[in-house]
Amino acid sequence: MALTLDKLYSQLVSVAKKKRKLLSASFELTTRCNLRCKMCYVCENVNDSNCKAKELTSEQWIGLAEEARDLGLLFLTLTGGEVFIRNDFKEIYEKLMRMGFILTIYTNGTLITPEIANWLASMPPFKVSITLYGASRKTYQEVTGSAEGYDKTVKAIDTLLEKNIPTEIKTTVVRGNKSEYDRLLEFAQQRKLELGIVNYVSPRREGDNTNPIGNRLSPQELVEYEVHINERNIELGLLMRKDNSSMGSQLVSLERKDTIIQSSEPSDAFHCLAGKSAAWVTSDGRLLPCGLLDMVKAYPLDQGFALAWEELKRGCELISPCKECQECLLQSFCEHCPARLLKETGQYDRKSPYLCELARRRKEAVNWSIP
Amino acid sequence: MVLIKVDYKEKDADRLKLKNGFLCREVAGQWVVVPLGERVVEFNGIMTLSESGALLWRNMDSEVDEEDLVKLVLSEYIIDEDTAREDVREFVVSLKENGLIE
Repeated sequence: MALTLDKLYSQLVSVAKKKRKLLSASFELTTRCNLRCKMCYVCENVNDSNCKAKELTSEQWIGLAEEARDLGLLFLTLTGGEVFIRNDFKEIYEKLMRMGFILTIYTNGTLITPEIANWLASMPPFKVSITLYGASRKTYQEVTGSAEGYDKTVKAIDTLLEKNIPTEIKTTVVRGNKSEYDRLLEFAQQRKLELGIVNYVSPRREGDNTNPIGNRLSPQELVEYEVHINERNIELGLLMRKDNSSMGSQLVSLERKDTIIQSSEPSDAFHCLAGKSAAWVTSDGRLLPCGLLDMVKAYPLDQGFALAWEELKRGCELISPCKECQECLLQSFCEHCPARLLKETGQYDRKSPYLCELARRRKEAVNWSIP
Repeated sequence: MVLIKVDYKEKDADRLKLKNGFLCREVAGQWVVVPLGERVVEFNGIMTLSESGALLWRNMDSEVDEEDLVKLVLSEYIIDEDTAREDVREFVVSLKENGLIE
C-alpha cells in the first residue's frame, strides 16, 4: 500500500529527528522587501546597499545548497524579505530545482507578473506560499504601506491558480487587519483554498525599520480573534468540535503544521525540529536553528555546511528549557519556545509576560465556552 | 503533490532505460526519487523505493533488460531466482505505469 505524503513526511521527520540529520531548511535569500509591513521581524529597504552587499551571491547559495543536499536536505524553503526582488532569483531557483529538493517559495506575491507565473509553470515548485495582509486596498496601505500591493497580490494568486501552480495563502494577524478575517476567509473559499493564520508576531530579529510589538495584537485581542475564527469555522462546518480547547494548535499555521513535535526529553528546550533536523540560513550566511533564534549560529561558508550543522546542533543542545514554563499548568495553551522567549525577554529560560498572558486568556476563553 | 510507491506486477522483456530528470536519494533512511527541473511538470511529487528498488534504479541509467536486473538482485540478496524474477517484473511494470521508462 502506498504511503501518503503526510505519512512519508512524518516517517522522514521521525528518523531525521532521532538521528539529528538535516532534512528541512529555509534559505532567507534577502531581508530586503518591496513592502513595508509594520510587524515584520527583518524587513529592510529594497535599495539598502549595505544590506544588499551582505547578501550571499547566487553562487554561494547554490554552493550551500549542494553541501546541504549531500547532508540529506530534502525540503527547502526560499524566503525573504521578498525573494522576487533578487535579480538572480530565477538563476538560483532553476539550479536548486535541478538538485533534487522539494521546494517551497514564500512571497508576498506582489512581484509575480504573468511572465513570472509562466516561468514558474514551466518548473513549478512544490508550493508557492503567499501572505495576504488584508482584504482591501485600505488595509494593505495600513499594514504594508502599499494600497496597490493588494491588487497585485490578488492578481498573482489568481494567475498562479490559473496556471495550476500549487499555491497556498496565509495571513499574519495584526492590529491593522484584525477585523478582516471573514473577508479573507471568503477570499480563500472562493478559490477553494485554505487560509493559514500566523498568529504570533515576534519582536524584531534585527534592524529598526518596523515595529512588530507596537502593531501586534494584545493577548486579549488575539484570543478574541482566535475565538472568532473558531466560531466562524464551526458555523461553516470546518471544525467539528464545539469548544476552543485546541485553539492553540488549531489556529496556528506557521511554517509547516507538523513541525511542532512534542519532545520526550525534559532536558530538551525545543519542541520543534529546529537544530535537530531543521535549520535556517540568513541572507548574510549565518546558519541558525530557525529564523528567530540568532544567538546560536554557525558559519557554513567558512567551515563548510557539515561542520556548521554539527556546531549548530551542539549549540542548541546547550540551551536549557525554561523551568517555569515546563511546570506551568497552562502549557497546552502556550506556544513558548527558546526562540520566542529569547526575543520576548532576552533569555531562553525566562517566562514571557506576553506569552503567559496569552495562555491565561486562552484558558479563560475555554472556560467560557465549556459549560 | 503526488506520492508514488513503486511496486511490482507483470512480465516484460523489453530493453529498459530510465527517463532522465529524476534523482534517487537516500533521505533519513528512506530511498526517494524526486523529479528535477522541468520534469516536475509531469510529476510533482516523491517516489519511495525499497532498498532493492533503489539498487535496481541506480543500475538503470544505461539500457538494461530484466535478466540483467534479476542477476543484479541475485548477486546482492539471498533470494531464489523465481522470487527475484517476479520482484523485478513487478518493479519494471510499476516504473512503466508511472511513466518512468523511456
